[in-house]
Amino acid sequence: MLSMQNVSRIYRTETIQTHALNDFSLSVNAGEFVAVTGPSGSGKSTFLNIAGLLDQFDEGEYSIDGVSVKGLSDNQLSRLRNEKIGFIFQNYNLIPDYSLFDNVDMPLRYRGFNGKERKRRIEEALEKVGLASRMNYLPSQLSGGQQQRVAIARALAGEPKLLLADEPTGNLDSLMARQVMELLHDLNKDGATIIMVTHDPDQARSVPRNVQIIDGQMTDHRVYQPQSVSASVESEAELA
Amino acid sequence: MWHYYLMLSLRSLKRSPTLYSMVILTLAIGVGALASNMALYQSMAADPIPEKSDRLFHVSLNSWPDEDSPHQQPLFVTRYRDAQQVLSSGIPTKVVAHYQTRVYTKSLDAKSLTRFAADTRATTPDFFALTNAPFAYGRSLSSAEGNEVVLGSDLNDKIFGGSNSVGKAVEIEGKPYTVVGVLKPWTLRPRFYHMEQDSAFRPTDDLFVPLETAIDNNWGVNGRSSSVDYSGDMASSRPHNRFYLSLWAQLDSAAQQDSFQQYLDNYSQQLKDAGEHPLAINNELKNVHEWADKLKVVDQRLLAFSIATMLFLIVCVFNASSLLLAKYHDDKSEMGLRRALGASRNQLFRQGFVEAMLVGSIAGSLALLLSWLFLACSVVLLPNLKAIAQLEPAVLGQGFAIALLTALLSTGYPLWRANRASISAEMK
Ligand SMILES: Nc1ncnc2c1ncn2[C@@H]1O[C@H](COP(=O)(O)OP(=O)(O)O)[C@@H](O)[C@H]1O
Ligand SMILES: [Mg+2]
Repeated sequence: MLSMQNVSRIYRTETIQTHALNDFSLSVNAGEFVAVTGPSGSGKSTFLNIAGLLDQFDEGEYSIDGVSVKGLSDNQLSRLRNEKIGFIFQNYNLIPDYSLFDNVDMPLRYRGFNGKERKRRIEEALEKVGLASRMNYLPSQLSGGQQQRVAIARALAGEPKLLLADEPTGNLDSLMARQVMELLHDLNKDGATIIMVTHDPDQARSVPRNVQIIDGQMTDHRVYQPQSVSASVESEAELA
Repeated sequence: MWHYYLMLSLRSLKRSPTLYSMVILTLAIGVGALASNMALYQSMAADPIPEKSDRLFHVSLNSWPDEDSPHQQPLFVTRYRDAQQVLSSGIPTKVVAHYQTRVYTKSLDAKSLTRFAADTRATTPDFFALTNAPFAYGRSLSSAEGNEVVLGSDLNDKIFGGSNSVGKAVEIEGKPYTVVGVLKPWTLRPRFYHMEQDSAFRPTDDLFVPLETAIDNNWGVNGRSSSVDYSGDMASSRPHNRFYLSLWAQLDSAAQQDSFQQYLDNYSQQLKDAGEHPLAINNELKNVHEWADKLKVVDQRLLAFSIATMLFLIVCVFNASSLLLAKYHDDKSEMGLRRALGASRNQLFRQGFVEAMLVGSIAGSLALLLSWLFLACSVVLLPNLKAIAQLEPAVLGQGFAIALLTALLSTGYPLWRANRASISAEMK
């Protein structure tokens, strides 16, 4: 699904240069759920941005779904992003004066779907995150957790092969965070490949595969047995 | 997709109404000033008779009898006998002598005593064919003498209610004249056959009468008339040194021009040999463009002003661009988001293009409205401008195109800057 070989990313400013990612290699198979942890500034976002084709890299090889991204044009990269990748950001990144419908609609427009197809996908995606009834609301009329679920719906609507989430619960209180986690677990069960950056060790432990980055390099890599965290999340969610 | 871009553009305008109003107003004022100027300039510099403006020549003949002429030589008007000589050369395809006068006239049958003032061209008959005057009814004058007249459209409207008046009669100073032709409305900008003394943007004449008839009737010259030694009436001026006739010739080939020039020079030389004038031989044939240039029909101040308005427009574009720079800077993270979700740079550029076209269209419409207002006001203040302060469709189109272009120029740099960085950097 995703394969990085010896990828390096160096940020240069006038005074310093930072090896945000240093000789980094990782392969993720279809259907996996991977949590990426590490201290702040260690290169987690850099890794995810490169994985999501939002940033370039200086050295190494990266291919997604069998396609090497080296030398691809902006048009080709946009196409890949649009069709294969769904991105979920820490701060949701919804457009404030667009309704939920229009927010989810946005990537589908660039995909070139007709109106009927877009409508079907938007409704389906909002249904999945439990917000179909609020299609015409503005983001400001929702709680943070609901907003993040809209962002997830937006990522899902294109039916991507890979979901990338950068601290998706970072701005949420613990209850809302659990609801979002639960949603991600469900999506994974339905077959989605997910890579999620998180600073929360408990959250990471609920995810089958963990990768730790320190100073731009992978320092720890373990695979857990699936735990029952999601089960306990469910019971708490029901109380809410 | 263009439909989506248009919708986004409308949303964008709605989001920052103040900023876009400023951008649009800035561009509209700049383009409006330029378009007004272009309108004035284009009617001044227009070719009134493109089908043969390079084959119609004003004739200036050098025959002033004194060494120290009060006028620049060669004089642009000629004596009656010089004109007769030129008319009889047999060289030009068509040749005309005319002067402007003014008479009062009415229908011969009218019971009312009201007479209408008519700017009148006293002319030899070739005038109509030479100037391609458009006939609504009838024909041109058959001779330089006699009692025929041709009516301009306005006068025919006033006297005969616009009907076909051929065969009817008008009265001038108690005498009847037969209408043999009526012109269609006829606008010449500039009025090339008579542009001297700042009259290039006066209307074409109301009435056309045979030259000899006008002279016989003592109809005075409404234009330059110079004389060294004569102060009598028109009717007996023919043999005297009274200079007042304009000469025009249609010369269709270079050979014809050469032999006509030769003819004029020979004639002038003969006069000199006979001791009639002491001047160097200097006869000029100027086609419509050359003649307009010589008479400075295009106001030089207007040219300077045009350059000023162009510079002003450039300043406006810079202003609009810096406003948009701020706006696109604010939009950077949204553009980053769009790209993160799969929009290509090209798609965002197209989006920006549509927005620029939208802004340009609004600014263009406003600009044309402003320049129309400006021209209307200038006509109120300076009625002389009436004939030139016109927004022709060509100028409208050009003004609109310039507005679109300025909007594109203003948007280009901000748009490029906002899309320059990597997506992750844009979204920060
Ligand atoms: N655009 C950038 N320019 C310069 N340095 C950057 C840029 N983005 C990230 N960095 C640096 O790269 C390192 C890794 O950053 P990041 O991947 O955001 O860390 P994390 O997400 O793990 O907190 C940090 O030292 C950060 O300061
Ligand atoms: Mg980060």
